[in-house]
Amino acid sequence: MSGLLAAARSNARHVARVWQFTMKIFMISDFFILTAVVQPIIFASIAYFLFEIGGDAAGEQTLLYAALGTGMMGVWSTTLFGGGGAIAWQRWEGTLELLVSAPRRYDLTLLGQTLATATFGFWSMIATLAWGVLLFGMPLNANYPLLLPVALLAAIIGLGVMGMLLGTTFVLYRHANALSNLLEYPVWIATGMVVPLALLPVWLGPVSWVLVPTWGMAAIRGAAIGTEPPWLAIAMNLVLAVAYYLIARRVLVHVIDKARRDATLSLA
Amino acid sequence: MSSTAIPASSVPARPGSLRANWRVFWHGGRISYAALFNWARPSIYIPTLLGAPTFQILFFAALGNYATGMDPSFFAIGNAVQVCAMSGIYGMTMAVANERWFGTLPAILASPANRAALFGGRFIPFIANGLLVSAYGFALCWIVLGVRFDLATLGIMALAMVATAFSCSAIGAVQGGLSLRLRDGLFGANLLVFLFLLLCGVNIPLSYLPGWMQAVSQVLPFTHGLEAVRQAIDGAGLAEVGGLIAIEAFIGLCYAVAAFFLFRWLERSAYRNATLDVR
Repeated sequence: MSGLLAAARSNARHVARVWQFTMKIFMISDFFILTAVVQPIIFASIAYFLFEIGGDAAGEQTLLYAALGTGMMGVWSTTLFGGGGAIAWQRWEGTLELLVSAPRRYDLTLLGQTLATATFGFWSMIATLAWGVLLFGMPLNANYPLLLPVALLAAIIGLGVMGMLLGTTFVLYRHANALSNLLEYPVWIATGMVVPLALLPVWLGPVSWVLVPTWGMAAIRGAAIGTEPPWLAIAMNLVLAVAYYLIARRVLVHVIDKARRDATLSLA
Repeated sequence: MSSTAIPASSVPARPGSLRANWRVFWHGGRISYAALFNWARPSIYIPTLLGAPTFQILFFAALGNYATGMDPSFFAIGNAVQVCAMSGIYGMTMAVANERWFGTLPAILASPANRAALFGGRFIPFIANGLLVSAYGFALCWIVLGVRFDLATLGIMALAMVATAFSCSAIGAVQGGLSLRLRDGLFGANLLVFLFLLLCGVNIPLSYLPGWMQAVSQVLPFTHGLEAVRQAIDGAGLAEVGGLIAIEAFIGLCYAVAAFFLFRWLERSAYRNATLDVR
């Protein structure tokens, strides 16, 4: 039992170290600063102006609704490009072979990286909230302030693990970046980030249920401007995170085994 | 005696002659597109230049309609025009900046080729590509969102699109020139594409923007071209929108000239400081 506990602690420490290291890399990356800070501010401005034209279509807390939605759009973009390209970048940098052949489990290394991606993405939310307060006089309040950090943590875990799933599946396609370019807008639409799902075609409903950003958005928005505590959304983030992790790990084992067999591990 | 004809392109042309310049312009432009535009292959082109614009148009049509209650066609048309930036901005950035990344810049600059022909030839494939992507966007608006176009003014709309695609490629060329000096050239390209969505009347009618944003929009590509397209769709003739098209083309020309002189200045500066191939 104590051996299991020691192994779990060691794995958690490994994930935390990779997380910290990856965060440092993102801090000096022009691309990720653009994706996590600049792009969400521009999209938030577009949303603010549009809702202003429409006379606050989303109700009393329209600005906060728009800020959270466009912030979450930035979180998704960062997760998509960071997680989706995680393995591909290791290939280009020439570090993939070293990481795979290291005594540490590679899935934990990848998990640390993609959790960092999702965490870094949450700069988007800070940026859009600050932008709304400073330029548009947005009132900043939360209906369930104590639940907000829990919702944020659940969303980071869910999105981080989804990034891992993206990384392991995108690597099967030669041009992972093209897939990332393609999937940015569809997920913004299908997860109801700024347009409520109720206004979109009915068939999008079931699609949105299996996408973790839907629940991440619902949890954060529920804690901030919801009328009931978002327990269901928080739980769904964690349930989907477990499901994504199991699938991602299985795909990862298959991909790495195949790459080793075919001697294509380092071939981009 | 062999009867094999010599291909026209293999006939030597006197350096500096009109034929040599034409070859640099036409063939050079074509080759640079194939060699330097990272997205030219179908496996990247389809998801990036057709797939992403599809969802961009649908996203803004849904958001605009929900937030403002306005007809989704306003947003769909704006974005159908704006998607030509994917080719004009990213493409032109790659067409200039990738010379450095692929190590071909010193060879290009050492050649005696006419710089105006060399530079100008790069525009043609990206303008054509931008027009193709926007035409796809308009087809999508027509099929999915039921936007109707006036057949009588389709030619005027096309003319406005050519001017817009040109001005967009021209600012892309400026960005490409700057990328010869920057660590990450695509940062500026991405920023421009996002700013067009905010400032040029693509999603927000210009009258709703603050004064300083309206002033900036007047010197950016898209603003006048897009307005001309919108008016042409509503049935306006060349007499009404000709001025807007001319302004859009003039803005494009200014950016193209600026890009050319920026390129020449960077070339001379690179020679002087021995930074031709510094990454």
